[in-house]
Amino acid sequence: MNRVFWVVFGKEIFGFLRSAGLVAVVLYAFTADIYIAGKGIQIKPRNVKIGYVDDTGGGISRKILSHLHRPEFLKPRRFNSQKALSRAIFNKEILVGILFDQDFEKDFRQGRKAQLNLLLDATAASQSFTTLGYLQNIVMDFSKPNFPVVIKSHKLFNQNADNHTFMALTEMLSVTTLLIVILTAVVFVREKEEGTWDIMLLMPVDPKLIILAKSLSQVMIVMAGVILALGFVIFGAFNTPMNGSFWAFILLTFFYSFSSAGIGLFVAAVSKSTMQVAQLSIIIMMPLIFLSGAWTPIYAMHPILQFLSLFSPLRYYIEGSESIFFRGTAFVDLLPYFGGVLVLGVLLYWYGFRKIGKLF
Amino acid sequence: MAGLEVRDVTVSYKKKVAIRKVSFDAKAGEIIGMIGADGAGKSSLMHAVAGVLRFEGEVSYGGRVYRSPKEAEALKTEFGLMPQGIGLVLYETLTVAEHLDFFAHIRSLRQDAAFRDYRQKLLHMAGLSDFADRQAGKLSGGMMQKLSLICTLLHRPKLLILDEPTTGVDPLSRLELWDILDSIRKEEGTIALVSTAYMQEAAKMDRILLFDEGEIIAMGTGETLIDSVREYTFEAGKCPEKSSSDTACFSFDKRSYSLDPLPSPHVEPTLEALFFVNALRKKRTLPRLEIEARESKTEIPETVMEARGLTKRFGDFTANDHIDMRLKGGEIVGLLGANGAGKTTFIKMLLGLYPIDEGGLTLLGKSIRSSDDRQALKAKIGYVSQHFALYKDMTVRENLIYFANMHRIPLSTAIKRINRYARELGFNDYMDHSPNELPLGINQRFSVAAALLHEPVVLFLDEPTSGVDTIARAQFWEMLHRLKASWGISILITTHYMSEAEYCDRVVLMRQGRKIADDTVEALYAGHPDAKNFEDIFLSYYRSET
Repeated sequence: MNRVFWVVFGKEIFGFLRSAGLVAVVLYAFTADIYIAGKGIQIKPRNVKIGYVDDTGGGISRKILSHLHRPEFLKPRRFNSQKALSRAIFNKEILVGILFDQDFEKDFRQGRKAQLNLLLDATAASQSFTTLGYLQNIVMDFSKPNFPVVIKSHKLFNQNADNHTFMALTEMLSVTTLLIVILTAVVFVREKEEGTWDIMLLMPVDPKLIILAKSLSQVMIVMAGVILALGFVIFGAFNTPMNGSFWAFILLTFFYSFSSAGIGLFVAAVSKSTMQVAQLSIIIMMPLIFLSGAWTPIYAMHPILQFLSLFSPLRYYIEGSESIFFRGTAFVDLLPYFGGVLVLGVLLYWYGFRKIGKLF
Repeated sequence: MAGLEVRDVTVSYKKKVAIRKVSFDAKAGEIIGMIGADGAGKSSLMHAVAGVLRFEGEVSYGGRVYRSPKEAEALKTEFGLMPQGIGLVLYETLTVAEHLDFFAHIRSLRQDAAFRDYRQKLLHMAGLSDFADRQAGKLSGGMMQKLSLICTLLHRPKLLILDEPTTGVDPLSRLELWDILDSIRKEEGTIALVSTAYMQEAAKMDRILLFDEGEIIAMGTGETLIDSVREYTFEAGKCPEKSSSDTACFSFDKRSYSLDPLPSPHVEPTLEALFFVNALRKKRTLPRLEIEARESKTEIPETVMEARGLTKRFGDFTANDHIDMRLKGGEIVGLLGANGAGKTTFIKMLLGLYPIDEGGLTLLGKSIRSSDDRQALKAKIGYVSQHFALYKDMTVRENLIYFANMHRIPLSTAIKRINRYARELGFNDYMDHSPNELPLGINQRFSVAAALLHEPVVLFLDEPTSGVDTIARAQFWEMLHRLKASWGISILITTHYMSEAEYCDRVVLMRQGRKIADDTVEALYAGHPDAKNFEDIFLSYYRSET
């Protein structure tokens, strides 16, 4: 019994190591890809291009503009008319335009409510709206309201309010999902394509054993990738805190990988060629990722979608992992996440076994 | 004058030379036949001549010379190429009539009265007049090939290049394809280059080119070719034992071939003799196949497999329609039929790879009702699927060890057995190669070895000889006969080569999902006294069916 299991397992691992292209893809996905995702996605304004029209004498406008400096903002560029500024925004040369008109100066000097007009390119929504926030703060500093309240915020779970670590972690979880689904599906479909799967079914071995051994091999490959990513990127490059148990995370990842391998088995069962695997994986993975809460918090979704999100194993995995990393949740409280991942995994395997794992 | 001259054409791919310095020429109205195994270079040469593949050397057609696909571009209105593969140029969801319109449009043919007459004539010749509104995907393989041919003929090409148009097509459709070709070349003076997998078709060619490993080994009319090997062909007898273990003589299909005179009298050779004589001349010696008795004692049941009214449907298409069949112990049964006749479906149903829709099946004395019934039998069944399913990322040795492990054969026994098969079946030199790098014939024997590791009682072989060269095929059949003799194994083998029926004990002929003949080879011959070969016998069954 055991011998056949390990023979199949070993064969798949050697097969993977022999295919240089596959090894390269997995290495890239678990290192460079996660690093780029963590580093590259910027919510803070950076190098924002600001333009302004200044019809005032220059006093107050200079003061405001002097607060806009590197690295958040490039040196503000002056335009001679509102029309020229608008055109520059249209041509994407400028992201935020500030209009200091004569009324502004006059009203300000006279102590009336002065109106400062801003033009925002809302297609780059996050960058331009954070710029708006900056400007509001600057203006606020000038106005010194007669309201003696100061907000002191305490950042919990992520003291630096650093979203690199979040981004990198979410990317790692997504990469894990995508790779485990595609690798597992391809392992089975390649056998179907080449006709070796028929031969395997006719071996005097329970096909369930072969399916489990094959999925375990791919799970192990992805686990090795996760360890790499943790060491080099998550802990190495981004210094992500680990407030919970490392082994709880590894165990959750292992169960989750198995459950996603079940999705791969499902994909393999319904597709005929490697090409179809690629197409189907995307079609199946996209809703799973949308519904997982990776991009939108689940409480912000439509009730129907909230209900559907219960069927995305990724939901349990992301919530569980973030709890482990940032909240340091105790193992007992993680059990619902383990449960969700396991139940879905068992269902998917059951379907896969029925669909490709049996003779008639 | 619209002649074709091919001078020193070489086609090479990254790693290998497909065809080396080949020259030949053809006159208007001539049919040039190309015969040889898969990978002998026929397709490469045809694509080079058609101007769709880069080549070295030069081709001149009608006095105009071209050395590259680009130079051939201007001549392509006069060329017609039909690539290999049934229905490859067709679009499944277009009807017959839409196909003809489509090909007329992309060739920008003027659709005048003359064109319409010609189109009607082609449809009539192909027997497709009544099927103009049928979608191509719903035509039989033979009809698809006829449609492909008339689509290729639509622009009245003067040089027609047909790559294995008849492979896997039923015998009746094959005759019809030849009739179309024959009348077109007479009326239009077309030069036709036709490759074929069937030696019997060579008789219909004006001249024959025999291909072997990228070279033309013989060229001429069928008669002169046969004359050239008459002195080396003898009545079957024992080959004289030589001191070396290599064979200097082949015996196959009631004939023996040897460069040195044999004691037995001469007999009339067939074209196949050319390949044997060529191999003898090139001293391409073949390892002698030997098969020792099985290591384990096994009782051979009297009836190995009995199918009663097996039926398989895919949607509203019936792939197997109430097939009855019996396979006795130690018997070789040939399941013959064209592509799409339902041979593979039948084997897959026997093995449990497809569910049985209707009917009963008894395997090795056990009635099969569910997959549990099969579990215990798996160790007694060997199966080689179409295209020799093996792992391409492992060497031959690794593949065999993997399969042995799956059968839980103790490793030491397995390695001994693998080495013995490698020696006996003659693939010892290839043990550390990947299956991709092996010649088709070696691959085929090694796939059988993989299916024999657990010493099964019955062997199911799905199209093992398709595309394999003559000599490898002869050796393959010899191996099967030796297996039968020393192991008492039963074999069910499918093939689309009607001529291979000769080597079976019993033959089952299938056509469009139904069984139309089932008898021993002797009885079939006795029932058809005027038939020269099995091709004729089957043709008569096909004719009486329609």
